[in-house]
Amino acid sequence: MNELLERLQRHFDVNNINVLKPGMTTLKIGKDSAEILIRELRDREGYTHLNFITCIDYIEDGIFTLVYMLHNYDSKHTLGVHVDIDREGEEMTSIHTLWAQAWTYQRELREMYGINFPGSPRLDEDFCLEGWDQIPPMRREFDTRAFSEERFGHREGRHSEVPRVHMKMELYPKRGGDEE
Amino acid sequence: MTLSTGHSAALDFAQPEPPDLSSGKYVKLWQGPQHPGITGNMSLELVLDGDTIVSCKTHVGYLHRGFEKLMERRTFIQNFTVVCRIAVPEPTFNEYLYSHAVEEISGIEVPERAIWLRTMNLEMMRLASFLMWIGGQSGAFGQYTVPNWTLAYRDYVLDLFEEMTGARIYHMYIVPGGVRAGLPDGFEERARKIMKGAEKLLDQIERVMFNNVVFKARSKGLGIITPDMVDPYGIVGPNARACGLARDIRKDEPYLAYDRLDFETISGNEPDAYGRAYLRLQETRQSINLIRQCLDHAPTDGPFQADMPNVLHWKVPAGETYVKAECTRGEYGYYMVTDGSEFVRRVHVRGPSYTHAIAVMERLAVGTNIADIAGLMVSLHTYPPEIER
Amino acid sequence: MNLRDLLSPFFVWQRAFEKPYTSIRPTIDRPGAPAYRGFHINVSEECVGCGSCHSICQNHAIDMVPVAEFEGRTGDSGLRPRFDYGRCCWCGLCVDICTAASLRMSNEYAWISEDPDEFHFTAGIDDKPWQNNEHGYRRAEGYHLYPPKRIEMEMLSPDVSVQSFEEVARGYSEAQAKLEADRCVECGICVATCPAHMDVPDYIHSIRDGDYEKGLQLMYRTNPFPATCGRICTRRCESVCPVGILGEPVAIRWLKRFIVDQVDAQDYQRILNDQIIESGHRVAIIGAGPGGLSAAYYLRKKGHAVTVFEAGETAGGMLRYGVPSYRLPDADLDKDIAYIVSLGVDIRYNTRIGKDIEFEQLLQDYDAVFLSTGLSVPSNMRIQGEDHARVLSGLQVLADVASGRDPGIGRQVAVIGGGNVAMDAARVSRRLGADVTILYRRRIADMPADAEEIHESQEEGCNIVPQAIPVEITTADNPQQVSIKWGEAEMVQDPKGGRPRPVLQEDRMHTDTYDCIISAIGQGSDLDFLSKENQQQLAIEWGKFTPGEYQQSALQKVFVGGDVANRTADAISAIEDGHHAARGIERLLNPDEFTTTQTDNTGELT
Repeated sequence: MNELLERLQRHFDVNNINVLKPGMTTLKIGKDSAEILIRELRDREGYTHLNFITCIDYIEDGIFTLVYMLHNYDSKHTLGVHVDIDREGEEMTSIHTLWAQAWTYQRELREMYGINFPGSPRLDEDFCLEGWDQIPPMRREFDTRAFSEERFGHREGRHSEVPRVHMKMELYPKRGGDEE
Repeated sequence: MTLSTGHSAALDFAQPEPPDLSSGKYVKLWQGPQHPGITGNMSLELVLDGDTIVSCKTHVGYLHRGFEKLMERRTFIQNFTVVCRIAVPEPTFNEYLYSHAVEEISGIEVPERAIWLRTMNLEMMRLASFLMWIGGQSGAFGQYTVPNWTLAYRDYVLDLFEEMTGARIYHMYIVPGGVRAGLPDGFEERARKIMKGAEKLLDQIERVMFNNVVFKARSKGLGIITPDMVDPYGIVGPNARACGLARDIRKDEPYLAYDRLDFETISGNEPDAYGRAYLRLQETRQSINLIRQCLDHAPTDGPFQADMPNVLHWKVPAGETYVKAECTRGEYGYYMVTDGSEFVRRVHVRGPSYTHAIAVMERLAVGTNIADIAGLMVSLHTYPPEIER
Repeated sequence: MNLRDLLSPFFVWQRAFEKPYTSIRPTIDRPGAPAYRGFHINVSEECVGCGSCHSICQNHAIDMVPVAEFEGRTGDSGLRPRFDYGRCCWCGLCVDICTAASLRMSNEYAWISEDPDEFHFTAGIDDKPWQNNEHGYRRAEGYHLYPPKRIEMEMLSPDVSVQSFEEVARGYSEAQAKLEADRCVECGICVATCPAHMDVPDYIHSIRDGDYEKGLQLMYRTNPFPATCGRICTRRCESVCPVGILGEPVAIRWLKRFIVDQVDAQDYQRILNDQIIESGHRVAIIGAGPGGLSAAYYLRKKGHAVTVFEAGETAGGMLRYGVPSYRLPDADLDKDIAYIVSLGVDIRYNTRIGKDIEFEQLLQDYDAVFLSTGLSVPSNMRIQGEDHARVLSGLQVLADVASGRDPGIGRQVAVIGGGNVAMDAARVSRRLGADVTILYRRRIADMPADAEEIHESQEEGCNIVPQAIPVEITTADNPQQVSIKWGEAEMVQDPKGGRPRPVLQEDRMHTDTYDCIISAIGQGSDLDFLSKENQQQLAIEWGKFTPGEYQQSALQKVFVGGDVANRTADAISAIEDGHHAARGIERLLNPDEFTTTQTDNTGELT
């Protein structure tokens, strides 16, 4: 494991190496060398299995962290490759030539986060959301509650009271700390 | 047959050229989303030349409820009631993996008794799911007797779930920290009885469905997955094992009590629909065996829940993990990122159908017969809800 | 093709002779499994309306609604959960979190109605056929969604604690406090029971957030004695804490103490940031106990000039003289008082009303008077010989020790009584090196003292003799000693259903000799400073006031509070009396701000 990381560090600018547990490590790499690193891991380091590609929205930092989870069946080791891209409109190199299912993930990320993967097949076909006219819904700023409040009504006759407030009103309306 | 699974340049993932529909040569046909030959609500957009498929596109979205998004807006305890809905026929794997991810990040050690009860629950789930699948596979080739048997018998397994967990489908039994209850009185006896009946049923099914000239004719040679496709397509589970790869997470990276159970990874050498079906039949028997072992070994007293914080304002420390388990269809996984707040930052649910039903299906469908498409799809054992979490 | 594969499928016919899987009966008759999660049951008499079910429900399927059958009262909000089955997913988390275990599920799962609104119902109130089902989901024994046990407070061991007046309870560490604060379910039922209606869930929340300055601010909204109450409060809040129904109540008192202990006294000014704009009004307060100083604090915040008249030489009243420093160290009481004084409250020590200044004078000189003189006169045992020089009062012993004087109790001490003063006197005597026997008329379980105090006094070696009735005090052979004749008592059921009464057994009498006998059977008020006329005007009964709204007495300008005006006679009630009197005085002095806003029948504000 350490040898692998040393090799990777020699050839690539990887950082933030984080051993999450025995058998699983994550590392971070710049966007431009990510595709080469992943290809290298697949072809030379035995990480032949792509578990998934996903994205974490760090809205407060203005970045999307793309996560490529790779698995080596021989060493039973999982390696998570993290790639930060700018949240607003930055593109990511497509890896659809590396795994057959990669384009599906990229199509989903396009739909759910609005990330562009130039060259990825069928990227702009609807995946789960047919006729969606809002911002990509997995972005943190998409407010599911506001969305549903806007579209769906509430059942008549629903009303809930807060025990503490109810007791104040009923038992000691003139006391307590709220008057000040 | 060689077992080379490495990536070879020969494999071409390029999308086929779309057929020229204006040529008058082709028929476009939508199979699904409401179709008995479809596993759940999804649809295949097929282009036919005669009755041969020249292109197939999978469409999902009919079940999209946005679970991963919902989970970002619910507390850690509330999510446990949501996750089971991500794979309807196998909710338990979601419960286990969600709970396990939370436990791993928060450093919660689950008590021994809960570990065994969880293992048994997962194997019962595999049994119930395989029973349903056998019926589906048989029905997809027009043989409707076996589905009646297996779906009815699955209900006996669901009876066990009802007793053990309080519900038949969405069990909500495996909760972060452990499980919600021990076994009810007399459970073991009833479970053993149902296991015995299941074994007898599987023998009958083998005679009726597998030693069957029609089933063999329909399924042999259909949807061949070659070993060199496995990794490039992300194929896992029985679909990968049927072509000779002995890969089973339960054995290779044991979780729960699997390292203490006596079983071997089952792999086959017939990578077609028949081979996969037969492998699954054997795995169904294996699950029965494992349930019996759990009944033998599961402690009957002691705690079944770790000491938990107050779940009403539970903050899980910042962290990240990926946990996985071997469901009936292969590697099922939960990737979780937390940020120290009361809410999860990100959960990604990895279901095997994500690739089996799309990239793999779209490739294997080409060149097959329209009559076989349902059988092919079931033989890949796909569940649409895990694609569109 | 192989012949076997052709014939084998015909095996299917064998099944025609086997028992079918299907059932002839309608499935609606099939009961759910014994632990099935079916329709909800609420045992509404056991439910306390804490709303935890509502909080945990991810579907927003539960509303807390008032019901005609239950009114809000101590320990019960009066609300009950109402279910919207259009939203419920039958996960049963509401059952798991239920603090009273009143919420359950039946194994009933079939319910047919043409009216969708029927599926919106109040379990346990609306009549449903499954309400009394024996089976259905219950929370399993040993399964908890919040820790049922409280974090133990570290205490000095009894053999160490009797050696000195060092504080016995050591206080929570930050980690302990956070774990204990985590147990709160934030229902707020305690807020109604707390006499001062402190914002308990909010300040506990501030501990979880690690924001102790905010916690302090929250506490001062209703109580300017948090350091004190964090140590010696009677904590009625804890007795109604729903977490205590199935487990141990949240240690609200210790959490309050924790917050105060985290904040330096010198930071109070900055944190509490009480801005005072002088109003020009003057208010006199009689007695610098918790009631008087609480009134002083809230009046001062309103900008009124406050003068406190105190007969003793320090402030704090019974907190200073009645509560020993191993329970409430002087430094902590001073922390509370110092902040109140820092706002510009003028305390005149050694000033007794009726002697140094007349009550009438106060009525003339001040715009309002708040009277909280407390209960300072020990009650008599009403037995022969109790004026013996070696019979001391519990209050006097405690006051002597608090003031650094030697009460001269000797080596062998008997304490008469079962209240907190008796326990304190006994434990103080142990610290002064005496062997202590406590004689109490009834059983230990009947003692009015705090259970914790009884337990600790026993641990510290006080010998409690229950069902012992003092009969007579006599002179002993040694003039430095005193004898007490007491008889054993049998508890006799009250035929009217009241609490059992101790009956003296004439044939089982004992006489023991002690160096002194400490009498601590209660105390009364001293209102001699009021003229007969004033006393009549102020409607005093049994030495106590019966105040009206806002603690106002029959004299418009005079407000009363504290032990002399309430039945509970504890610090937290006195603090609330002071706070409430301050509200009343504010209304008296600034009536314009409190005219009720009227609306005419058009709804327009007039």
